[in-house]
Amino acid sequence: MNQVQATIADQEFVLADDEVERLLLGVMPEPIGEHYVVIGGRRFPPKQVLGVVTGLDRADFNTHQARRVLARLGFTVGRRSTDVILAVPEGVGPHRGREAELLRAYRGQWVAQRGLEVLVAADTPQAVLAWLERHNQHADAMFRVPADEAEAGGSAPA
Amino acid sequence: MRFAFKELPGTKNDYLRPAVPVQVEGISRAPQLCLLDTGSLHNRFGAWVAEAAGVDLAAAPEERFGVGGFVTSARRASVQLTLGDTVWEAPVWFCDPWPLAFHLLGQEGFFRWFDVRMRAGAYEMEITPEH
Repeated sequence: MNQVQATIADQEFVLADDEVERLLLGVMPEPIGEHYVVIGGRRFPPKQVLGVVTGLDRADFNTHQARRVLARLGFTVGRRSTDVILAVPEGVGPHRGREAELLRAYRGQWVAQRGLEVLVAADTPQAVLAWLERHNQHADAMFRVPADEAEAGGSAPA
Repeated sequence: MRFAFKELPGTKNDYLRPAVPVQVEGISRAPQLCLLDTGSLHNRFGAWVAEAAGVDLAAAPEERFGVGGFVTSARRASVQLTLGDTVWEAPVWFCDPWPLAFHLLGQEGFFRWFDVRMRAGAYEMEITPEH
């Protein structure tokens, strides 16, 4: 367990990585702006996470403070504008396997995708549609990422 | 209209599928990924789509048939579909269960409306509306 002490908006907090993961379990990530933090294999806006775990109003801290605290806890923080996949797989396909690689983390889930980016992933299609509506987002495509060969098979040969 | 094949992750190998995003009337925020399935006579969609789109299936008779290695129950309704700028109305069989990752576009509900050219070597397809 990784634990850090942080002062945010003049208040002292002791935060632990496993507690952050637990609190975010049932939370749907909001749309990602420029910055994100990876928690439990999902990307969240850093301010959303810090707001959830501290109970503070998001106006009480900025993105950089949130990033700093979450990075100290050991979570991966990133920036979408510079988020270029360096290890591009040498696969086949229109994206050389990059799209399949990005979707691999969402196997068995419903996703809404814009370009190659996954806007939202959820266990049910209804949850995906509700998220798009709630956040006024439009996707390019929605589907279930196949969990096994049967789901990807369709009527076409593999 | 040109569309790239869809890359989907697999266990042993990844999949490349000729699938396109089709907007179903009533679900404007999320076009549904549909496989171009030349082996299918009709359009087959997951039943949840009808409920989300507000398509009333109550009066439609139930049919049972096999699709892609499983048996499902389906009810038919005529639905407005959009691909790119092209809008057409076609019968769709809404199926439950529906364990596939995508929906299926078949001959009567799709291919008779479009000229489809596959370029599998380039992982793309070119689709032109028939007039």
